[in-house]
Amino acid sequence: MALLEIAGLTRRFGGLIAVNDVFLEVETGSIHGLIGPNGAGKTTLFNVVSGALPPTSGSVRLDGQDITGVPMQRLVRRGLVRTFQHAQLFPTFSVFRNVLVGLHIHANAGFWSGLFDLGPVHRHNEALAHQAHEILRFVGLTEQQDTLAGSLPHGFKRILQVAIGLAPKPRLLMLDEPVAGMNHADVDRMMALVRRLRDEQGITVVLVEHNIRAVMNVCERISVLQFGRKIAEGTPNEVASDPLVIEAYLGVADDEPA
Amino acid sequence: MSNPRLAIAGLVALLALLPLVMRDAYFLHVAVVVAINVIMAVSMWLLGITGLISFGQAGFMFIGAMTTALLTKLSGWPFWAAMPLSAVMAGLISAPVGRLSLRVKGVYFFLVTLAFGQVVSGVFAYFQDPFGGWYGIRDIPPPQPAWLFTTLNKVPFYYLGLVLVLLTCLIIYRVSRSWFGMVLWSIRENDLLATSAGIDVPRCKLVAFIVSAFFAGLAGSVYAAYFGYISPLVFTFEYSVNVLVYIVVGGFGSIAGPITGAVVLTLVPELFRVTGKYQMLAFGLILVFSMLLMPNGIVGAIAGAWQRLVARKGGS
Repeated sequence: MALLEIAGLTRRFGGLIAVNDVFLEVETGSIHGLIGPNGAGKTTLFNVVSGALPPTSGSVRLDGQDITGVPMQRLVRRGLVRTFQHAQLFPTFSVFRNVLVGLHIHANAGFWSGLFDLGPVHRHNEALAHQAHEILRFVGLTEQQDTLAGSLPHGFKRILQVAIGLAPKPRLLMLDEPVAGMNHADVDRMMALVRRLRDEQGITVVLVEHNIRAVMNVCERISVLQFGRKIAEGTPNEVASDPLVIEAYLGVADDEPA
Repeated sequence: MSNPRLAIAGLVALLALLPLVMRDAYFLHVAVVVAINVIMAVSMWLLGITGLISFGQAGFMFIGAMTTALLTKLSGWPFWAAMPLSAVMAGLISAPVGRLSLRVKGVYFFLVTLAFGQVVSGVFAYFQDPFGGWYGIRDIPPPQPAWLFTTLNKVPFYYLGLVLVLLTCLIIYRVSRSWFGMVLWSIRENDLLATSAGIDVPRCKLVAFIVSAFFAGLAGSVYAAYFGYISPLVFTFEYSVNVLVYIVVGGFGSIAGPITGAVVLTLVPELFRVTGKYQMLAFGLILVFSMLLMPNGIVGAIAGAWQRLVARKGGS
């Protein structure tokens, strides 16, 4: 059963077709990779699916329900969360508070409940603080919980981003280049975390990544985009041996018949 | 200061008992002006938490003042009914204004709110009837009972100002420390990430905008009843800028900042009142030096010094 179904999705920017008639299905409980050369339209696809950009045409369904064009802040409540390519954090908040904001949709967050802060509201929000600690323990940032997010090392920043995305308890988590700019040890830690997200929390993961080694290790299925089109899909081995994919990444020699 | 609550309770008690010792009319007058400025600074600060600075605060203050003036003078309402309604009126008008102006960010938001303030002044200045035009409205009745709130006795106004300041600060402090307050801070930090966490950023900004206008309206209402005279020359763009300066000089980090800034920058220029035209020079010098020496404001500088002191004690 597919959790995410993308059908005929197209997004144009003026004359540029960034995403061109893409069909894609993500199975429930899978870790699905999305790869492709720079400018292939991976991030645009992410933006459209996660509601940051409206599509030009096509549809997106989450668990059978149409979510095409639903804005990002509402998709969170329907179980779809995405992270961003560049370390997006609340830099002057502590690590703990960053995760707390991630729990927003579960909180009594209104103006009036903030003003009166009556017993049940207060206890409910206190319980969320407990949840935030649990999440920090899960991702292994307990020691850093009082550090300002902006002063974390890069690897921890990216893990904190995942923790913020994990906090709303999504069914589908979309990670945009989670290991970009990381060293080997950090990449391994992140990939272990991604696997545990699926295995222990039951979260379906879609990730865009340039780090081929990471993608090949962790993903069960991989889709390859080039010039906004999906050119291949399959298991890591199938994709790696696909001539179209090799051509997209390495190009073709001039004297070879294309 | 192991117990901040105790310190605040002591400060409030001190302020409550002050008129028993200081009966000087000039002192009490300055205290009422401080109260109005503190309400304005704190209300602007709440919106500032989200990273937005509204230059239309004087406009909302004017709306509150005008509502009180018209209701008490023309319709004969008691001040105590007109005051809450004035604040609500400013809040009501701020809702559509906020819906429109919050569509733009940064400098454009400054400009739209600045324009709004000018429009409010312009409209009130253009219509002689009932707004009094450029001459404004004189002889606004004081609060009831009339035997208590007389021109010569400033003590009741002092207590009115004190109660309203405490109420405003309490409400805004609680909100800023609540989950909703954290959401406002998070928008200032990173609105994209806030959106991706499920926060309805435009709605939260709008709520902060309305609350901010509500308290500006309240301050305007007190102004009208205290001075008995309002005109478009009082609620100017310059006044909005002054309020922003209170926040910047006091410090942005906590509600203590706008309070401190408003108190200091109202009191210190008063000390220079005898110098006449050089009074604004004092205001300007304080601004320049506080920006140079205390980039995090007075409160930020004090908090930093306190932390260094504690660190040194702990280290040795």
